Amino acid sequence: MSPGLVLRLAARDWRAGELRLLLAAIVVAVGAVTAISLFVDRLQQALLSESTTFLGADRVVRSTRAIPEAFRNAARENGLRQTDAVSFPSMLFADESEDARNLLVAVKAVGPGYPLRGALRVADEPFGLDGPTSEVPGRGEAWLDSRVFPALGIALGDSVSVGYADLRIAGVLTAEPDRGSVFDLGPRLLMRVEDVPATGLIQPGSRVSYRLLLAGAEEDLAATKAAIEADLAPNYVWRGIKDANPSIGEALDRAESFLLLGGLLAVVLAGVAVALGAHRYARRHYDHVGVLKTLGATPGEVQWGYAGILGVIGMAGVSVGLALGGVAHLGMVSALQAFLPVALPAAGPRPLVVGSITGLVCLLAFALPPLIALRDVSPMRVLRRDIAGGASMALTYGCAVAGTLGLLVWYAGNAWLTMWALIGAVGVCGGFAAMALVLLRGGRAAGMQAGSAWRLALAGLQRRHRENVAQITIFGLAIMLLLVLLLIRTALIDEWRAQLPEDAPNHFLMNVAHGEAAPVQALLREHTDYDGHLFPMIRGRIVAVNGEDADVWEAEHRRGMEERLRSERNLTWADELPAGNELAAGAWWPADSEEALISLEDEYAEQFGLSVGDELRFDIGGLPVTARIANLRHVQWDSLQPNFFIIFSRAGLAPFPTTHMTSFRLAPERKRFLNELLSAHPTITVIEVDAIVKQVQRIIARVTQAIELVLALVLGAGALVLVASIQASHEARMQEHALVRALGGTMKLIAGALTVEFAVLGAFAGLVAAVGAEVTALVLQTQVFELSYDAHPWVWATGPAVGAALITLVGGLGAGKLVRSPPALVLREI
Amino acid sequence: MKNASAPPGVLRARNVCKVVHTAEGELAILDGVDFDAAAGESVAVVGASGSGKTTLLGMLAGLDLPTAGDIWLDGDEITALSEEARARVRGRCIGFVFQTFQLIESLTAVENVMLPTELRGNGGAREDARSFLQRVGLGQRMTHYPRQLSGGEQQRVAIARAFASRPKVLFADEPTGNLDTGTGRRIIELLFKLNRESGATLVLVTHDEALAERCDRTVTLDAGRVVA
Repeated sequence: MSPGLVLRLAARDWRAGELRLLLAAIVVAVGAVTAISLFVDRLQQALLSESTTFLGADRVVRSTRAIPEAFRNAARENGLRQTDAVSFPSMLFADESEDARNLLVAVKAVGPGYPLRGALRVADEPFGLDGPTSEVPGRGEAWLDSRVFPALGIALGDSVSVGYADLRIAGVLTAEPDRGSVFDLGPRLLMRVEDVPATGLIQPGSRVSYRLLLAGAEEDLAATKAAIEADLAPNYVWRGIKDANPSIGEALDRAESFLLLGGLLAVVLAGVAVALGAHRYARRHYDHVGVLKTLGATPGEVQWGYAGILGVIGMAGVSVGLALGGVAHLGMVSALQAFLPVALPAAGPRPLVVGSITGLVCLLAFALPPLIALRDVSPMRVLRRDIAGGASMALTYGCAVAGTLGLLVWYAGNAWLTMWALIGAVGVCGGFAAMALVLLRGGRAAGMQAGSAWRLALAGLQRRHRENVAQITIFGLAIMLLLVLLLIRTALIDEWRAQLPEDAPNHFLMNVAHGEAAPVQALLREHTDYDGHLFPMIRGRIVAVNGEDADVWEAEHRRGMEERLRSERNLTWADELPAGNELAAGAWWPADSEEALISLEDEYAEQFGLSVGDELRFDIGGLPVTARIANLRHVQWDSLQPNFFIIFSRAGLAPFPTTHMTSFRLAPERKRFLNELLSAHPTITVIEVDAIVKQVQRIIARVTQAIELVLALVLGAGALVLVASIQASHEARMQEHALVRALGGTMKLIAGALTVEFAVLGAFAGLVAAVGAEVTALVLQTQVFELSYDAHPWVWATGPAVGAALITLVGGLGAGKLVRSPPALVLREI
Repeated sequence: MKNASAPPGVLRARNVCKVVHTAEGELAILDGVDFDAAAGESVAVVGASGSGKTTLLGMLAGLDLPTAGDIWLDGDEITALSEEARARVRGRCIGFVFQTFQLIESLTAVENVMLPTELRGNGGAREDARSFLQRVGLGQRMTHYPRQLSGGEQQRVAIARAFASRPKVLFADEPTGNLDTGTGRRIIELLFKLNRESGATLVLVTHDEALAERCDRTVTLDAGRVVA
């Protein structure tokens, strides 16, 4: 067949409406995937840039040594923005007199432009309402945490001394994006990095943390990292948002997995629509091919001719789909602009490539096999229509499964997610088909007792049981995928809300002396909803492991760069495993244990190569204490409850006087209460984490929104598959009903029978979907998203009801016109 | 591939058998059928329903292969050819008229008639098709789709298509089976007229004895065997 003839045949088929469903399916496949990819791509970039405010930058180079000039040069050459942050503890003196009041503060000295992402927040007065600022302290100035003011009895405009430098207090600092550990040594003092030499505080051996903040395009960041990578280890650490803040990193990871899953489902649904479209086209062309063959078309010509027609339609479909996807995503962006407080960055080229390749794979895997199989249609069909023709089921389904697999693996780049999604989507098909068959048989038996519309509908369902089993399986699959997405989305969002409930504590109290505990708790109960627990606390450091000096042990066993084994740590004791902690190894001690035992956070232990049974010697206030590691705990750090790396048994810390710590929630308008609290108990320390809590909640709200959007998109794709599937089976159904009408059946009878038929198909599909969704969600939640799982009884009721309503609606809309048309016209049109 | 030692005549079949496997065992649809047709001759194949007429027609036209036996069509031993090669022989030398018309629903009348010429890759398909449609009296119906035409008109389009491929052998399978008597008679007149003009061999399967009598010769099948 010449290319010209192929084009003419394609044009004639198009004009006759034969190719519309197939083209629509390809357009939907490419369009849905492109729209979701474009939107997700931009949303991911926006979310990531929002999250980088936690780091104050896109990437940070961190060390206990000064940042080499070579690093700065590399960043400059790659066009990155950069600034410095140098942190160290220091005593802060209120004035220069002998008995001056003083306080240990965590100094952070920053360069101009700090922070590169996010913003500092300042207030007009201590504990006053705050707002963002783009400034940093001027030369010779310092900004201080609210709690420093009552502690030192100072006010804005006063002068304080840090080392040898005198700084004027020019601002009240309430929040900084990269605050890091909230349990830093004391409250924050922010000053200029240019003023640091004047303090004279940085000497060899000083505890200083140097950070080089970097921001810019991903490829420039990658180029910079590549340029300095060889010089990083072992003294410098390169960090991104996911390393810096595990809880945000985890939320982003899960959100990405979910968005990806949504995209995958859209691909599978669109693939099913393409397959249905191609099958319908092929089926309608069996006779056509028979005629072509009697007229002398060879099998090769038939094969290449139809492949050519598919190519033409494919190119048109992919082009229109890409354009439509682009427009749809713009529509989504503009419709949701109000809900997206961040401006979305421009999308990269990947979504368009994803869309095109999806179209191509859909064509090759879903549409080509049934069309290629037309080459084997016997020319004898022109004489005897009962001679079967068309695609081998094994080839068609084999190609579809292989294509789906390939597409999913490529699209997700995540073998686990792909495997479980496939097990969920494809593995249950066999079960679905078996269930559908049983349901149809049962339905037939029940229908015989019912009225004539029921009898007609159920007899029809039973007669075409092979097609109907396939259709229930496809409907069921589509409904199941939507249910799975809905279940996972609900589980994810619930999990996030549970992690950071609205009433999560947002202030910590430390340094509460034993005698102060009761009055402080009373004050908290009076002014807040405090219902907390006091944790004993004392500071100490590890000096030896299994009799070996801690530094020597660390040199041999240390795996991370972040912490020092010898660093001073907050220690506590407990009789019971604290809430939000989970035992990872070993056993918890009995409450009355008289042995000095300790429990370590599992990642901390791993970092220093410590395990259950190791013996640690501590230095607590100059006194040695030796204790054995009894167990390792997994700690949920994002719970914002007081958590400890090291917990002793009561016996281990009994000889030491401890202070206490606790956490409570304070509404923003009640913050002045802190002044009262600190004036009454000047030695206690208040740590405010409300800004961080608010920020995390905001990011999670944004991620939640993204997830709901993708859910809505996939719902749309699912509805299209339903339409395509109903359309594909339309003719056989209509022909039967036209015959019944020709034999005297009323319009009412036909409409009733069709309604029953669609409703039964939908209800059966909904039922099998509920089974599949429950199983798949169980696997996905526990294996991929690592969430806990509860059964969802509502799905079992909702699945069949929604299935029946949906299929009846979609099917009814398509059949309405044919029900009203005269039967002769229907019989002739088909 | 033309066979130099091909037997005379346009169409020859020797000892053709077709056996199918059914639940009750093997069933012989054709059982040792011999058949010959000379150039320009018209042969009617008659017999009761299920006697194997249509199956024989399919074999002679190269649409299907017999279980045993040999068939030569226009000098080619088509029973020794692949489906690919048989398709070329069909394209080169046969035309078909069916009881159920077998027009392509998505093509207009003129496009249906153009199809054989287009498949051969020859130019002038549209003009040729127009002229044939004129000859069958459908000059005004060129751009109508099959479903917009009556049964008689559809069969006339099919006849135009059959002759547009300028066949050496025209196979007709119950060409009037779906038409009323008057229309059927007019169709037959048209078929015989065009066949005379083209000089093609005509193999016609029919139940209609009057129609069979118009042919030069009649072959009668019964239970898969030639009985007269």
